[in-house]
Amino acid sequence: MNLSAREVRQLALPLAAFMVLLTAGAWLVFWVQDKSAAEARLLAQARLERTQVKERLMRIAEEEREVKEKLKVYQQLKALGILGEEQRLEWADAMSRIRSELELPDLRYRVERQRPLASVPGKPGTVDFYASAMRVELALLHEGDLFGLLWALRSSGKAYYAVRRCAITRTGVAAATPNLSPRLRAECEIDLITIVDHGAKA
Amino acid sequence: MKRLAYFTADEHRVYAWSGGRLDLEAKFPVDEVGVAAFREYLAGHRGALFSVVVDLAGEDFHEELIPYLRGNDREQVIRRRLAQRYRDTRLAAALSLGYVSGERRNERLLLTSFTNTQRLAPWLDALIESEAKMAGMFSVPLLAPALAARLGVKGGRCFVVNANSAGLRQCYVDNGRLRFARLERAADMTPEAFAAFVRSETGRLAQYLSTLRVLPRDAPPVHVVVIAPPGQRAVFEQALVSDARLSFVTVDLAEAAQRLGVKSAPAGMGAEQLYLHLAVRRPPREQFARREERRGYFLWQLQRGLVAAGALGLAACTLYAGAAWLDILSARGETARVRTDSRADQQQYERLFSTFPVTQTTTENMRATVQEFTRIAQRSGSPEQTLRYVSRVLEDFPQIEIDSLLWSVDRPAEGGKPAAGGATTAKPKPGAQAEVLEIQGRVTAMRRSEYRAITAEVQRFADALRADPSFQVQRTQLPFDVTSEGTLSGDIGTASEGGEAPRFTIYLARGLP
Repeated sequence: MNLSAREVRQLALPLAAFMVLLTAGAWLVFWVQDKSAAEARLLAQARLERTQVKERLMRIAEEEREVKEKLKVYQQLKALGILGEEQRLEWADAMSRIRSELELPDLRYRVERQRPLASVPGKPGTVDFYASAMRVELALLHEGDLFGLLWALRSSGKAYYAVRRCAITRTGVAAATPNLSPRLRAECEIDLITIVDHGAKA
Repeated sequence: MKRLAYFTADEHRVYAWSGGRLDLEAKFPVDEVGVAAFREYLAGHRGALFSVVVDLAGEDFHEELIPYLRGNDREQVIRRRLAQRYRDTRLAAALSLGYVSGERRNERLLLTSFTNTQRLAPWLDALIESEAKMAGMFSVPLLAPALAARLGVKGGRCFVVNANSAGLRQCYVDNGRLRFARLERAADMTPEAFAAFVRSETGRLAQYLSTLRVLPRDAPPVHVVVIAPPGQRAVFEQALVSDARLSFVTVDLAEAAQRLGVKSAPAGMGAEQLYLHLAVRRPPREQFARREERRGYFLWQLQRGLVAAGALGLAACTLYAGAAWLDILSARGETARVRTDSRADQQQYERLFSTFPVTQTTTENMRATVQEFTRIAQRSGSPEQTLRYVSRVLEDFPQIEIDSLLWSVDRPAEGGKPAAGGATTAKPKPGAQAEVLEIQGRVTAMRRSEYRAITAEVQRFADALRADPSFQVQRTQLPFDVTSEGTLSGDIGTASEGGEAPRFTIYLARGLP
């Protein structure tokens, strides 16, 4: 059936109504699908959170035990001054004190600039580990002096002392020499590790 | 609202039909005055939707066989046959009666028209010129199969007999298809006389159709549905006695109207009310109006169809959106329930957590601090233990004198070749951090030429260092290179034989966790 121009004009309004109604329907479907997808996302998120909270609740006894254990270590770190900013003056004092206490004939040290060692993500802030390399040279009457130095350093706190290298060599003084001349020489490289907890309460 | 033009030989009427209710709107005489009045009426109802029902005597019914064709070819053949049969084909129609299988497949057609079309022409012209939308033009017989079906005739042969304004209408329907019809004028009669008239006319019709062999002689009785005027059913049932040829069923007009869904009709209106109602609600496909005459109606249908399709689309979308919205509401409810449960669990967690020891940092940071510190501490070694161990072992080797000790935390060399003079190697743990102690020493109290004894002593010392399984002797560099790859040299009997004792080096490792 061929339509005349007049008939086409007569169809224009119904055609427009058809388009408007269909567009409205399509928009409605699109809108409801969008809403549905958003609601599904919210539900999935809520379920995930629920699962996480439930798991945390189930693990709370374990967490309590862990907190207690870790708190003990954490408090020790705090008490030893490992947690916190570097205290280089304290280190210098400790070295002087150790030298006089152990009556070491010769003790030289040099602490390099601090370098970052590790950064661990936490909540709310990161936990940053720093290391300052210390090179120690000392003359020993016997190897026990070295052990004494290391023990004294650890006892002094203010950092965690991780020994990287130690070389003990003879000075060449004969063992039969009766005086108290050092017969051994030691060179050690020790990392002085400190921790900065950015989530700690002031 | 639809309008129905009902044309009879005596009078033309216009009824308004709405929701099953029929109301008489206008009556027109069948002369020139009537046509003028009809035009005037139509002028007041421009664009109205019309169906025309013609109830006139003098209809022709003629059966034809045409070849089995489809589409335009069939249309052309039918048009040709109608033109051959009727002088004026304006009011002619062809009704399919089915197909005949033989040597060639043919289609049976019933050609029908009015013997005098001229008296209807001015009325139809008036209707078309008024731009009325003509849904269709039907004769009463064309509507009879639909009426028979609505009155419960499932199939077979039947006569539908009723009294219209135009007279006594008799239609022969064979398996739901019209085969023949006639209209007999009926003067005013008493119910008994009219019932007897119906009986005799039905018998005559059966006789006539038998003569034409349209009705087989040995066939079972023809089902005759008689629609009795209101209140006359009992009289009709008494008069219409079934016999071997005819089996009568009488239905009261009011009951028939109810069955068809006619809600109301003007008082005194005959059985034509049923046909008028069917012309609106169940119009047959075959009818008399030409395609051009129905163009306005098609356009109107197209307009409505477009809007209806749009509305249907919107309704479908709304339905889908409604169902999806229910899902959304359900999901919202579920989300709210899950969140409530989460909050309850969170509150319980916080309640229990509040009983934990007070910390100076968050649990996460405390955990991170301790875990990382533990890792660093585990990778850090301490020379004291290794040196003490070596010292203890040395107590059993007074001939061995240590020159230097180099302790370091390192990744030990893996799978390396033994060094020159190397006698034994132990494999370190692959990839692990380890404390490594390089021991340099000499074997004293032996002459340089006692290379077998010196080598044996160093080997014994290395073996002694292996006593603790946590320590591994990674490499032993002997004073003399006894391997095939190395160079063996000696200085026997010279003054240098009593010089500095030969040196050895042992690499001792201890794995860190």
